[in-house]
Amino acid sequence: MTPRFLQTSRRAFLGGSAAAAALAALSEGAQAQQPLPPLEEYAPVFLTPAEWAFVMAATARIIPSDGDGPGAQETRVPVFIDRQLAGDFGAATDLYMQGPFTPDADMNLGTQSPLTPAEIYRQGIAAFETWCSNELGAAFADLPADQQDSALQALADDDVGLEPELREFWTLLLQNTKEGYFADPRHGGNAGMQAWVYIGFPGARANFHEWAGRDEAYPLGPVDIAGERA
Amino acid sequence: MRTYLKILVGLIVVGAIALLAFILVPVQRTPAQAQLPDDWQPEEGQGEYAMRIADCAACHTAPDGEQFTGGRAIESPLGVIYSSNITPDDATGIGGWSLDDFRAALYDGVRPDGTHLYPAMPYENYRKLSEEDVRALYHYFTEEVEPVRNETPEAELPFPFDQRWTLRGWKWLALDDPGFAADADDPVLARGEYLVEGPGHCSACHTPRNTIMAEAAVDASDEAFLSGGEIAGWTAPALRGPDSAIAGWSQDDLVSIFSTGRNAHAAVNGEMQLVIRDSTQFMSDEDLTAMSAFLVGLNEGTGQARAESETTETETEALIASADPDMPLGTRLYIDNCNACHFANGRGADEVFPELDGNSLVTAESPTGLISMILEGSELPSTPKRPYSLRMPGFADRLTDEEVAELASFVRQGWSNDAGPVSAASVAELRGKAQAKME
Repeated sequence: MTPRFLQTSRRAFLGGSAAAAALAALSEGAQAQQPLPPLEEYAPVFLTPAEWAFVMAATARIIPSDGDGPGAQETRVPVFIDRQLAGDFGAATDLYMQGPFTPDADMNLGTQSPLTPAEIYRQGIAAFETWCSNELGAAFADLPADQQDSALQALADDDVGLEPELREFWTLLLQNTKEGYFADPRHGGNAGMQAWVYIGFPGARANFHEWAGRDEAYPLGPVDIAGERA
Repeated sequence: MRTYLKILVGLIVVGAIALLAFILVPVQRTPAQAQLPDDWQPEEGQGEYAMRIADCAACHTAPDGEQFTGGRAIESPLGVIYSSNITPDDATGIGGWSLDDFRAALYDGVRPDGTHLYPAMPYENYRKLSEEDVRALYHYFTEEVEPVRNETPEAELPFPFDQRWTLRGWKWLALDDPGFAADADDPVLARGEYLVEGPGHCSACHTPRNTIMAEAAVDASDEAFLSGGEIAGWTAPALRGPDSAIAGWSQDDLVSIFSTGRNAHAAVNGEMQLVIRDSTQFMSDEDLTAMSAFLVGLNEGTGQARAESETTETETEALIASADPDMPLGTRLYIDNCNACHFANGRGADEVFPELDGNSLVTAESPTGLISMILEGSELPSTPKRPYSLRMPGFADRLTDEEVAELASFVRQGWSNDAGPVSAASVAELRGKAQAKME
């Protein structure tokens, strides 16, 4: 279960992005959407090369590319996670981060870790990679897919011996993968609004008054916060 | 031959003397239009109220400046004029001005030293101010306002418009007789007429300018009065006649827009937001009612066609509701950017989202205001009755010049609107200006 206060408040998020958009609006002017560089050429802002390799491999198992819809790779979920960890989310700007900390408190009491989400990723990846090489003999990214799945299952079941202050690592990774998949493309994931197209979500259009109660599919594709259409 | 020379020299001498007299002989200042006792004093708050109804603050305060210290740039078709410091500072303001000096600035547009004020100062309208309001204003600006030292820049006008003495000739042609006499017998309508024609100086923006750039009319008995003008490139809509922006509006609709900046049809934009912010929201219910009743009277017999078109579904509405992927780009941009608030029928929501169908900003002959609105957005002033500063975001970062042009053309021709299309070049020009303003 994701601790409620690790999730971005929708209201705060919209307020913050509205202010940023207003600032960006007149200084930059409208520009045609630049084609994105290939994911392999992306230079991570927060993650080290080894951490990047883990996030790439792990998110590709959580939302694989060989399923019905687009996977985490095509939608650039790792980019979303890297940028979030480099920003306010990673730094726990919106979280209460004063003590007392009781990391091994009952789960129902919520997050008790003294670590920021960025620190949880950094230490969590390191600890999990140590477990992978000890138990499975290779770095996570170098394991075959079925072993990656069972390793992630062990991580989700809290069977990899993580310290109590790292116990949110899996819920964060899962939550951020979903967020990167479905969030507006301005945050780096959901590239080309592929996830929205896949589930038929029409995006940031906000008014479907005439379509309420009509038993037919809405014909228009999605539009994102930047006004792009897909 | 000698005779001709004599005549010629004579004419030159007479002309030179006349010119010198024109420049140097002091202007006759208009006297008080009513006699008040010398010891007349305004009631508590009367001076400030007179300042509010005359809206001195909007022009005489710079965007980041202290109130009434001037320096606000006022764009005229000829160049930039800066408002003056009207605090009672001796060196840079109106410190030491007598009542007669003060009245002459309001009525005749002259400073105590005889310098002519540019007609950006609406003395064409302030000539109608009652002596009570003049005295109340004089008391407010000499006794109640603190002096603040603030030098304001000289106007940036090209020759010959930088020669202020020439304004004397302009005034001979432009100025009507001073004073106010109501046409209406009803005291409420008469009060409304006074507020609109005099202190409110509505006509300074809402009446077209004639060939010498004076207001084409300063009296409601003339059809040109309030038939629409222009301010800083934006259209100040007609408030009467076939194109009236307020055709079909009730007295309550008008009271609502004056007191809150919003009503069931519209939200104020552009310079009118300053009028709400600094002036009309402070007016008494009696005065708002009087002004609104007078304006409703100017619009009697209009607005029937509008009321009928409101009930039938337009082709535009049907096209938007279809969400047909093959619809033209302008309609598609409306759905993607505007439809959330302004709705498929273009009617928005009362007191929140203004109507676009029949909206005077949308259908103005010049699309400047509409394009600026799409690019930069707008924020309503906060008032006691409606404290929330409703904001429409700007779409400069979402839309290219071509897209803004398509979208603006669509709303100008959608529903029952019938205005001309917008070019991407016009959008590019205004985007450039908006960017320059931000830097």
